[in-house]
Amino acid sequence: MLVADFEVRRRQFAVNVAIQLEPGERLAVLGRSGAGKTTFLEAVAGLVELDRGEIRLGSRLLSSAGGAHDLPVGRRGVGLLRQNPGLFPHLTVQENICYPGHSRPDVAVAMANRMGLAALLGARPQGLSGGEAQRVALCRSLQSGVGLLCLDEPFSSLDRELGRELLELVRAELEAGPTAALLVSHRLEEAQAFAGRVAILDRGALLQVGDARELVLRPLSATVAALVGYRGWLRRGDQLMAIHPDRVWASGGAEQDGALSGRVVGMRPDGVRIDAELEALGEWTGRFHCHLDDPPQMGQEIRFRVDAPPIFEGQEARLD
Amino acid sequence: MIVSPASAAPPPRRYRATTSISLLGALVVWVALLGPLIALLVHLTPGAVVSALRQPGAWQPLEVSVLASLVALGVILLIGTPLAYLLARDRLPHPRVWEVGVILPLLTPPLVLGLLLVFMVGQATPIGAALSHLNLTASDTFFALVIAEIYEAVPYYVLGAEAAFAAVDPQLEQAAALLGDGHWRTWRRITLPLAAPGLAMTLAVTWARAMGAFGAVLIIAYHPFGLPMQIWTTLQESGLSAALPFALVLLVVALPLPIGAYVWSARARRRL
Repeated sequence: MLVADFEVRRRQFAVNVAIQLEPGERLAVLGRSGAGKTTFLEAVAGLVELDRGEIRLGSRLLSSAGGAHDLPVGRRGVGLLRQNPGLFPHLTVQENICYPGHSRPDVAVAMANRMGLAALLGARPQGLSGGEAQRVALCRSLQSGVGLLCLDEPFSSLDRELGRELLELVRAELEAGPTAALLVSHRLEEAQAFAGRVAILDRGALLQVGDARELVLRPLSATVAALVGYRGWLRRGDQLMAIHPDRVWASGGAEQDGALSGRVVGMRPDGVRIDAELEALGEWTGRFHCHLDDPPQMGQEIRFRVDAPPIFEGQEARLD
Repeated sequence: MIVSPASAAPPPRRYRATTSISLLGALVVWVALLGPLIALLVHLTPGAVVSALRQPGAWQPLEVSVLASLVALGVILLIGTPLAYLLARDRLPHPRVWEVGVILPLLTPPLVLGLLLVFMVGQATPIGAALSHLNLTASDTFFALVIAEIYEAVPYYVLGAEAAFAAVDPQLEQAAALLGDGHWRTWRRITLPLAAPGLAMTLAVTWARAMGAFGAVLIIAYHPFGLPMQIWTTLQESGLSAALPFALVLLVVALPLPIGAYVWSARARRRL
């Protein structure tokens, strides 16, 4: 089990995280660029020193404040997969996969075959496509017998379809074993597809951790609401309101956000019954841009407009 | 604004020399730069080379030079490699100060370097006195020759090796560490093989500099005669034509390693 409760100070803010992960569990950490996601993973992987707290994996202490007793990166049992697959260019695909000291070549090759790499074993990394290279990197990082696999948006440079396919591959490989996984991402659908539990990280702070569906239906703050897909915000006085696909929702949760002291209306674009909700709004007015991703047609943008005083200066058009 | 593909401006054409112009240019460069070598070969007859090399003791300067250069290269490798790696990875405090220290011998004229070395390691200096306790003298000895060659060649190695190590992506080293490798194992399995082509070229240049070291050698290691000194004294005593065969020998000994290293390095780079 991973137990991490630590702080890493960065120039603009501190990354402050307390999280637990059962063996074999998958957790996705969702946040914008620069939210501290990579720092979080690097701390778990041992690439960054802690300023407070500690990280344990099973019975072993991986890191503690000051770094004096930190386990070396290679002995922590933590794998890290990044956007740059980091394949060794002087080695073939097979040599890359069998690189970890205690890997077993027969097991490694069997996994490579499962991942559709059979024809590439003799190839050099330079000749691989982005998706193939990530497949090799994934296969390699699973050879070193890791107890926890950290995924730092490894597939974000690939097209969405391929990224989804590779995430499925990771899920399939992890499903059978005790290896836990931490995925950081800025895409909600990626986080939802990968893990049952999602944590929201913003400026180094964990705002909310919970079931993926719960986060979407009941965001505790406007920042979380924005991250899980709410678009279009209204404010009147100190009242706060957000609209769900099936109902108008007013919550005090957003009042935790200093920037949003007033009452806010947010709207999730998918599936909202626009006419009904507009009627329900009554004297609430504002300006929404709704992007209907799915359904009805991919890529089609439908806009509707209501006059209202914008709450975010210059951002009344869209928040994404 | 939407720009249709048809109206998009074509990418700017970069100027590229035609084959004939390129060949002509290469020929000019070859003739200009290899002119001295061609002149040497034109002025030498096989008979002159053979008779020069058959004189008693003619091979000894070559032996001295090769041996001293090998020792110098060994010392440079031992000291220069870790230094270059630490500089490339920015692991040393005040890296600019270190770099200036490495570059200074390169900027100092070799003759001046020789004079300064006399003041540093000559017999009358504290270092010279300390060396004499170890039965070493840094003046007109094999040891002095090695020191002079090291000073003349070490900046080439450190700067070249630093560039070779810097070209290795640190994320690859990190990836190896995450896969369970310790520092030394990562260095041996990832850093060294990837830096090898650059290191080979650097080593070749360093070898050529050590073999041909003259200015500092003239001041602190006139004896034992190395090959450059042999050429110099023969030129002084017997004239140009007598010195030419030794110049050829120096080239024959000093050049194959750089050329071989260049060919290997170019091939290895293509593979990476």
